[in-house]
Amino acid sequence: MFRMSRWAVAAAMLLAQGTIASAQDTIKIGVITDHVASAKFYAEPVTRGVELGAKALNENGGVLGRKIELIVEDDQNKPDVSAAKARKLVDDGVVAIISNTGSPATQQAQTVSLETKTLHLTPANSADTLTTQLDDPYFFQTGPLASIQLATLMAYTKSRGFKSAAIVRDNSVLSQSFADSFKQGLEKAGIKVALEEVIPQGATSAVANLQKVRAAKVDAILQAGVLGPEMLQFFRAYQQLGMKEPILGSYNLSIPAYLTMAKDLMEGVVFVDAFDTDKPEAKTFIQAYVKEYKEQPGSLPAYGWDGIHLIAQAIGKAGSLDKEKLRAAMQSTTNFVGAIGAKGTSWGFRDGKRAGFDPQGAVVRVIKDNQHGPVVYAGQR
Amino acid sequence: MADLFELAVSATASGCIYALVALAYLLILRPTSVINFAVGEWAATGAFIGVAVLTPLAWPRLEGPYWLALLAVLVILGALGWLVEVLTVRPLIRPGISITSPILCLLGMLVIFRESLTILFGADPLPSPPPFGFKRVAFGPFAGASQQFLIIGVTLSLFAVVWLFFERTVWGRAFEAVALNRRAAALMGINLRRVTAFAFAAGAMVAGLAGLLMSPLTSAHYMMGLPLAIQGFTALVIGGVGRVEGALLGGLVLAVVEQFGARYLPIPSGLTLGFPFVLLIAFLFLRPSGLIAPREAR
Amino acid sequence: MRGAGSVLTWLAAIVVASTLAFMLGGYATDVYRKMLIWVALALSYNFLFGIAGQIAFSHFAFAGVGAYGVVILAHKIGLPFVMAFALAMTLCAVLAFIVALPSTRLEGFYLALATLAFSQLVLVVISEGGELTGGTGGIANYRLPSVFGHAIRGPWYTVVLVLLVALTLWVLRRLDVSTFGRACRAVRDNPDAAAAMGVGVARTKVLAYTLTSTLAGLAGIAYAYVDNVVNPPVFGLENIFLLLFMIIVGGSGSHIGAIVGAVFLYLAPFVLEPIVGHGFLVVFGVLVVLTILFQPSGLAGLLGRLSGRRTA
Repeated sequence: MFRMSRWAVAAAMLLAQGTIASAQDTIKIGVITDHVASAKFYAEPVTRGVELGAKALNENGGVLGRKIELIVEDDQNKPDVSAAKARKLVDDGVVAIISNTGSPATQQAQTVSLETKTLHLTPANSADTLTTQLDDPYFFQTGPLASIQLATLMAYTKSRGFKSAAIVRDNSVLSQSFADSFKQGLEKAGIKVALEEVIPQGATSAVANLQKVRAAKVDAILQAGVLGPEMLQFFRAYQQLGMKEPILGSYNLSIPAYLTMAKDLMEGVVFVDAFDTDKPEAKTFIQAYVKEYKEQPGSLPAYGWDGIHLIAQAIGKAGSLDKEKLRAAMQSTTNFVGAIGAKGTSWGFRDGKRAGFDPQGAVVRVIKDNQHGPVVYAGQR
Repeated sequence: MADLFELAVSATASGCIYALVALAYLLILRPTSVINFAVGEWAATGAFIGVAVLTPLAWPRLEGPYWLALLAVLVILGALGWLVEVLTVRPLIRPGISITSPILCLLGMLVIFRESLTILFGADPLPSPPPFGFKRVAFGPFAGASQQFLIIGVTLSLFAVVWLFFERTVWGRAFEAVALNRRAAALMGINLRRVTAFAFAAGAMVAGLAGLLMSPLTSAHYMMGLPLAIQGFTALVIGGVGRVEGALLGGLVLAVVEQFGARYLPIPSGLTLGFPFVLLIAFLFLRPSGLIAPREAR
Repeated sequence: MRGAGSVLTWLAAIVVASTLAFMLGGYATDVYRKMLIWVALALSYNFLFGIAGQIAFSHFAFAGVGAYGVVILAHKIGLPFVMAFALAMTLCAVLAFIVALPSTRLEGFYLALATLAFSQLVLVVISEGGELTGGTGGIANYRLPSVFGHAIRGPWYTVVLVLLVALTLWVLRRLDVSTFGRACRAVRDNPDAAAAMGVGVARTKVLAYTLTSTLAGLAGIAYAYVDNVVNPPVFGLENIFLLLFMIIVGGSGSHIGAIVGAVFLYLAPFVLEPIVGHGFLVVFGVLVVLTILFQPSGLAGLLGRLSGRRTA
């Protein structure tokens, strides 16, 4: 569809010179998403949020008096394809790229933003290494870092006096990186990681893994799983074995798809989120979302919504589309309050940092009646 | 100790799934010498048909009874297996054409099946309801989910039927004759085409059944085929490609090594993922005939 | 006369392919570079599968060993690039030899399964490799060092990739027409007859596997500097099917077929994706099935027949 419309634009430009002005008037922003592969279930909702945000911005007159035009590309969550698509977006003349698929893909696409000096943002990726592995001054990250998520979970559970925990994950790339940062965070907090269990892709039972967890007599289970089918087996075995250990999960559990997949199995699961539906900025977003899609949003589209607003603000601040000015404007962002984040917190890229999520911005929620329940804890104090 | 018995139930149920996929391979492999890697996708197809018949989650959203799902899986998969044989295998099984041609052709079919499932049912995993719920059931010390017992019961019965078929019926004898020597079997008046078509249809039905049975445990999703294809093949290599009992034994051995290894061996869980591959390599190199030797070897 | 002509053809092809590198934009360059890597991999895989008759699923695993090997040696350990390069190639060759010794004894599709198990193990090692391999995040933040005082950047790196393809093709063609190439074909068509003719069947198989896997490692090393990032997903199982399909559709056993098949299947999604979305994978499956059924010699055979008719 997007390609069709661009062909139409090109054709119109050739035929009627008069339309050039309106065609050039838009500000192009690139989005990298995944419609079919392993990142689909979070990349698509985030992208929907970006589209909704762009629509809202355009209805209010756009940025610098020009409309925003999104160019969406699909990278199938493949890192090499992601970099290629980033180059395509740059060739298409985008002023910024929003990466919504997996962390390895976002990492590889950074090669392009660094080389072409293009503003590059991941609104939802959480890997701590994204801004540290490569010194790419054009790349920014506003997703809740895994380390912040864990610190928030730890703060919430500190009062319970946990001494040891088990980590359960699958063998996907994303799950493994969650588990790694969980392990580091737990050790830092003085909590013993009694064991790490892996439920491999294609497993047909998790009874062995959970028996081992039960035998280790841990105080809590940290669920770092990502793959739906393997997570389903975790909850099935947990229920079958009649286990009572509290389950703590990453923000990955805020993906609504799990609630349908593991219906009635996730009662009482504690998970980190960055979304408080009572926050005024969140309410504005929810209102717009319900109006457009006729359903209640989870937190994922809110990341995209905030991402496009953040970029729009940076463009407005820069006052032009000059790449260096855009970068400087983005870097100087402080106190950006969006739909994401606990009440009273904000994003900013202080002290030259390019990961902007507020350390106090994550919240803890509990699953109740197959729904993401209310916020029970905020921040890591 | 209670853990041990409950784990035994879990491992047996998983082993039965592997055994069914191994049986699907075997039914096709014996008379045709074709290793059909697409059986995993056929299992996935069975799982999706189950979801479509039983739930409102996928077209035609029937919310029908379980027997209808079972019937639909057997009929549709039987037809698909037959169709695949007629269209892509039959023209390639003849003298002068390498046996790898139909195998590669079926790899193409694998991709067609998988991507068609993605297009038809989407990329999200779909939960599949079990016919008897998920209650924990215990027979003495053996405890497990009711679905696990269902899987074990159905698989053992099916293997008994298939074993009787090969040992006691004329058709079964014809199958064996074709497996041992195609040309001699043809000279004896056995219709090779019919046997081959029947082998593919039966293999597809068994694979579809495996998918339907396992889907309540794992949900139905488009990535389920490939791991199943590898697990089933590993089971076949362990048990031996010659005999029906081998498929069952191989499946059980694989699952027991996987799950008891993961539970009781003092090595990091991440490394236990390598078990099936180590087993596969070990059997391929050290005992290529598998645990149960084929008939012609005797 | 013929020799001089073929040298000229080679030079002309290299010059044209290299000139292209200086004319393309950012995106087109990226597509072109990754296409050249695919062509290099397809050429060596074609020798293994099409000429030596071995269905192995380990080609991308060796590309991964090469890529990770050179990056770790040159940028984590800090060896001089030339030494790191040589060591990475040696690592691929030695590893391939070790895998080949037992594996090539296996018949037909059993080899595929054994090498599939091996590639899964390689993937486990690189994604669980901790600090050394960067785990699932992979390794970034390195650049191709100066080689003998020359910094190779921008389009000149694309020229390196063109030379990689040319070198791979040249080596494989020389091998193909040698005694070794004939031995490979003989072993593929009938091992017993080959043995009776005095061909060392086991030796031929091991050599073919080791050589082509090392060439895959070379392509992997080249890939490591395309985006200056290495991470595990690229070397997983998904891509090996595509590589196999490229050879089948292009025409197995033919060098031209490997090139045509790789270019065709690599570029096809760019055309098909806007029309059928990811349905293009179904199209690939159908293409493979149709090729095996009706055009076993692939696109190369088709081209050959067309040009044959024209001259006749």
